[in-house]
Formats: sequence, C-alpha cells, structure tokens
Amino acid sequence: MKDLTVTVGDRPIRQVNAEIRDAVAAGRDVTVTDTKSRHNLAIGMDARANIRFEGSVGYYCGGLNCGARIQVERNAGWAVGEAMSSGEITVGGYAGMSAGTSMLGGLLHIKGNAGPRCGVAMKGGDIIVEGRIGYLSGFMAHAGRIIALEGAGDACADSLWGGEVWLAGPAKSLGVDTRLTEPSAEQVQEVEALLAERGLADSSRDWRKIVSAQRLWHFQSRDAKAWLMI
Amino acid sequence: MADDLDESGGFPFPMPSEEAVAMRDGSIESHPVGVPESYEEGKSTRWSAKAIADVHAMSQLGRYQLRGFNTFSRSMPTFDDLVFVPATMTRLPLEGYRESCETETVLGDRPGLVSEPIRLAIPIYIASMSFGALSANAKAALGYGASKAGTMTCTGEGGMLEDEREASKLLVYQITPSRYMLDLEHLRKADGIEIVTGQGAKPGTGGVLLGMKVSERVAKMRSLPLGVDQRSTVRHPDFLGADDLQVKIEELREATGYRVPIFVKVGATRPRYDVAIAAKAGADVIVVDGAEGGTGASPEILLDHTGIPTISAVRAAREALDECGMSGEVKLVLAGGIRNGVDAAKALALGADAIMIGTAALIALGCNSPRYFDSYAALGTAPGRCHHCHTGMCPVGITTQDPELEKRVDVAAAAERVARFLTAMTMEITLLAKSCGKSKVSNLEVEDLRALSLEASAFTGVSLAGIDRPYSW
Ligand SMILES: Cc1cc2nc3c(=O)[nH]c(=O)nc-3n(C[C@H](O)[C@H](O)[C@H](O)COP(=O)(O)O)c2cc1C
Ligand code: SF4
Repeated sequence: MKDLTVTVGDRPIRQVNAEIRDAVAAGRDVTVTDTKSRHNLAIGMDARANIRFEGSVGYYCGGLNCGARIQVERNAGWAVGEAMSSGEITVGGYAGMSAGTSMLGGLLHIKGNAGPRCGVAMKGGDIIVEGRIGYLSGFMAHAGRIIALEGAGDACADSLWGGEVWLAGPAKSLGVDTRLTEPSAEQVQEVEALLAERGLADSSRDWRKIVSAQRLWHFQSRDAKAWLMI
Repeated sequence: MADDLDESGGFPFPMPSEEAVAMRDGSIESHPVGVPESYEEGKSTRWSAKAIADVHAMSQLGRYQLRGFNTFSRSMPTFDDLVFVPATMTRLPLEGYRESCETETVLGDRPGLVSEPIRLAIPIYIASMSFGALSANAKAALGYGASKAGTMTCTGEGGMLEDEREASKLLVYQITPSRYMLDLEHLRKADGIEIVTGQGAKPGTGGVLLGMKVSERVAKMRSLPLGVDQRSTVRHPDFLGADDLQVKIEELREATGYRVPIFVKVGATRPRYDVAIAAKAGADVIVVDGAEGGTGASPEILLDHTGIPTISAVRAAREALDECGMSGEVKLVLAGGIRNGVDAAKALALGADAIMIGTAALIALGCNSPRYFDSYAALGTAPGRCHHCHTGMCPVGITTQDPELEKRVDVAAAAERVARFLTAMTMEITLLAKSCGKSKVSNLEVEDLRALSLEASAFTGVSLAGIDRPYSW
C-alpha cells in the first residue's frame, strides 16, 4: 500500500501520533513532514511501524520504541530512542543529549555526533555513532554497546556497571572506574560486521574497548576517595 | 601556722582517717566521690556515646553509614501535637453507628484528560517499596492485602515484579532515574505511572541496595552484576528541569494512550515550589514524602538531617495548589511517618487528598513482630527496635532476598493482616471524621484541628487550642 504522509506543523502532537498509529495499524508506511523539531513524535511504536521523518525532531523521538523502524532525516533532540526495547532508529544528522538513554535492546544509529550522556543507564542493544559521543557518555550503563567512530568527550564510560564503549577515535578523558582494553580479533569482527550491515565497513580502524574496572561494584574502605568522586 | 598541723584538726577528737572520709567502705575504687550520673551515662552534650561511636565507625569505614527504617531525629514536630475538635453545638456530629462516611478517593480525575482514573475504596494506599528492598513474598502480600481493602500498591525502583502485578488489582509503576526494566510492555501494564524526583528519607540522592540483596532475580530485573552494592543516580537521565518534565509527562501519556494518571513524587524540601512546578508540568497526582519517610537503605545523615517534616510539608503543598488554582484538578498524596488512622485523618484535615504508607504497612506484614528472637539478636537488635532493613537479613523475611528468611512471610496471613490494618485505619479516620460532622473523609479540614504546641501551630498554621488563633509572628 502507498505511504501515508502525515504533516506535523503546529497541530497537537496527540493528533499527529494518533494518525501515525492508525496508519501503522492499517499496514501503511508513514512519512512525516513539516516536523518543526516537535517533541514526542512516534512514541511507543510497535514492530509493524516504518516511519520516516523529513526534517528534524525534538525530544524523545521514538521513545519506548518496541520494534519500529524509524528514520529521522536530520537532527534529533534529547533522548532519541529512550527506553527502546527493540527496533531500529536512524538519525541522519546530530543527536542531542542522552541519545538512547536506558535502552534495553534494538539499534540506534546516529550519523553525526551525539551530545553528552549518550547511552546513559543503557541496559542492552547497540548505539552506533559515526561522529563523536559527548561527555559522560555511557554513564552508569548496565549492558549493551556504544560504538563511536570518531571518539568521545570527557569522562567517557564513567561508572559503568557493565556493557562496553567502543571507540575508533580518541577520548578526551575516561570516566572513573573504567578499564581500557584491547578487543580480541573475534570481538572486532563482530563489531565490524554490525557496522558493515550499516554500510560502514572499514578494516583500518584502530579499536579500543572500555569496560568497567569494577572497583565501584562494592563499597570498599580503601576506595573511599574514589567514592567521593561519584 | 604551726597550729594548722594540730593532730586533732580543731576537733575535740582525733582526725578521722582519709579512708573513712572517702566512704571507701564498699564504694568503687574509681569513683572517689559519690556516683554521679555522668559516671554511668556520660554527660557531654556534644560527645554522646553515639557521636563517639559514629567517629569510630567513620574512621574505620572511610564513608558514611547506611541504614534502613526512618529518621531518628528527635527534633521533628509530630501529628501528636495536633488534636481534633469534634462537633458539639456549633456543628453537628454524625451518628457513628447509623450514618455513613464516604471514603472513596479518586486520583487522576481532572475532567477530560485521563480515561481511567484510579478509584480507591479508601483514602490510603501502599507506598512504593522496591522488589529488592522487599522480598517477593512481602510484595505479593502487600498486593493481596491492599486489593482486599480496595486500594493499591506501587512497584518501587526495581521494576515490575510479576508476583505483585498479579496480586495488586491496582498498581502504580515507578519511573526512577535508574530506569530498571522500564519498557513499553511494563508501562502499559500499569494503572498509574509515577515519576520519582525525590524521597523524604533521602531527598537529593538516589537509591541504594547493598550487595546482600542483589540476588539473582533482583540482579536480572535490574540488569546488574550479581551481588554488587547498587547505587542509583539521582538525576533522571533524560530530563532536568520543569519544562523538560512537562515534555516527559506528555511522552508517557502518548505511550499509554492517555489512559492512566501520571504521578510525580517529591521529597519534602521546598514543597511550595516543587508542588507548583509539578502541577504546572502536568502531573495528575503529586506525592509529597516528608522527612520522616521510611526507606530500605539510606545514608544515615540524610535520614536524620535533611528535609522538612510531614506536617509542615502538607500545608505548603496545599497552599501551592490553591495558589495556582489546581486544587481539585491535581490530587495531593501525603506520606512520611504516618503510623495509623489518627495520623492519616490529621493529614487529610491538613490538606492531603490521600495518604500513602510504607513502614506502617511493613509493620502490619510483621516487621518488628516478637518472633524469631535469635535472628534479631544476630543483628544486635530485638523486636520493637529493629531498623536493620539495609542488611538484607530481616528476621521476619520482609526486607531480605534470602530464600530461607523470605519463607517467614506467610503470604496469605500477612496479606490478611495488611487488609485488616488498612480497614482499621480507615475506621479510625471515619470515626474522627464523623465526630467532626463529616459525611466524607475528604471534608476534613484545618478548622477541625487545634495545635497543642506553639511549634505545631507555627509549622502548620493550625489554631492553638483554646485561644483559637494560629501562632503568628
Ligand atoms: C523498605 C522500603 C523501600 C522503599 N523503596 C522505595 C523505592 O524504591 N522508591 C521510592 O520512591 N520510595 C521508596 N520508599 C519510600 C516509600 O515509597 C515512602 O515514600 C515512605 O516509605 C513513606 O514513609 P513511611 O514509611 O513513613 O510511611 C521505600 C520505603 C521503604 C520503607
Ligand atoms: S524486622 Fe525486617 S523490615 Fe522490620 S526493621 Fe527489622 S529488618 Fe526492617
């Protein structure tokens, strides 16, 4: 069936989202125009949805995603794809603060840079950022993978519980309780395969993988000073 | 001068021995003069035994101490400083045994927004206490007990436990900064959603769960490594100020189809402003948790030295809603140190629309009950004074993840006790309300109260007993 076009403009978001949902329920793909960087577009969509935003979107676009494929042509505001459990979100430009916050699964692909706190409290899934990720990215993440091709800002991967931050570029500084590791060839192959699927194959990358140093997993008197920093 | 050395010292008899003067016969060698109180208790007002022990503890641990339960501060004004002035001549009391008093309490019922407001048969419900802080049996018992009494429970920080969803007819799902297990599926299973921005027991800090309690099931639900000392962030990962909160609330409404009410919980610090901001951001229900609020584990200094007391917080919160014209549209829930129906009735009269209880519900489950004395002793405590929830070794199986201890919560019996307690609390409220001539508990008002102390009057604006004027500056 033909794509349905929904126009955002200054209309109530509730109405816009209802039209998107109805179209999805009717089995149609949706193109959304005149997005005006409005907040809360395409929240909690399911696996039937195929949505394309022509333009930029505001906060929480694709939030609580549950299987939908969402494309944002230009930039996204704060917390794009927050709490996504499955599905795939692509941002053509930059993403603001807290992209992929507390994601549980699925894939978030940002073609430009991501702002600070990318992937904080993340619990699964993958975030690919073709540019750089901002400061405190991966802060207190539990699981999942953040992959940044051009590196990271300050305090990268601060206080990780688990999960991995992969950098193919420099980090301005690493956060507390982090450990820099050399990924194994196998691990690199897995990440490169994921990137190749997105048309980002490049065998010349120099990878570093950041994981938790696990010193903050337990209150320890000898670490009292480290605790002051968190 | 030589006269001073006279053997008899001026007596017409010989000088007594020093030993006799010192009353050494039978006295304690180290107590040369009498036995002053200070020998038994220490009398330094600065260096009490506790202050000394605290320095010893910090100098060994290199950190502050954590514990459960609630504040030990003696400086909190309490509901006991207020009394009801029932109806006599100027007002008509209701006939206690013949006339009824409406207790139904509806949350999220502002016109035309939420399609399924929460209808509670009584004005009390069970506070969020996470699975993790509580055992699964305790969660289930609270759920069944609350459902039987016609009211609801809240999940708490650790995600939605199936046992609780099954037990609770009405369940509020908490969104905490750590967002454990938060996804669309669970959000849509909730009858209400609560965004937590603070807690009375520890405003300004995030949750803590010590490793003892991070069992396999807890770790899985929170996606944490097994047995870590879990600490949570305090700031939400995806909003900061009031304007963002408004967008966040809209997101949650979109995700749930404008079906369920959105709650915002604040720890009582600046309730006048926080409540106004939460109301402006679009919350349907605002939960104010006073400084006396309970906790599973908090830094002790926050329990004892942060936040403002429940009785003063509620007045500020109500005035804030009145001032922005939101009273009635936005509901105010009060928590923090509510022990029984009397406290609850006073809280309603002071301006709350509903009351939330945490610790009292745990006590109804069996917390501090006189059983398993050895288990209390192993923690260095005894029934009636236990506050060891943070250890994970709760003697009665409530705040533990130890499978053996957890069995001590008999779900059916504990649920029945919770239901009876909630019913009894409600009877206390209606008894007082009827005596004040109210046919609905929601009609209780500040005028039904008098203050017994200048302090209580000054904190709440309630008129002083007898003189009928509030303390004013
Ligand atoms: C064991 C325990 C666990 C708690 N866990 C949470 C929690 O996960 N999230 C939260 O917002 N509040 C939590 N609280 C605070 C309660 O929701 C509530 O605000 C408080 O208990 C009210 O005070 P009260 O215990 O004096 O009734 C917890 C309280 C207790 C006693
Ligand atoms: S009996 Fe259990 S729930 Fe009650 S204070 Fe002690 S440890 Fe906490």
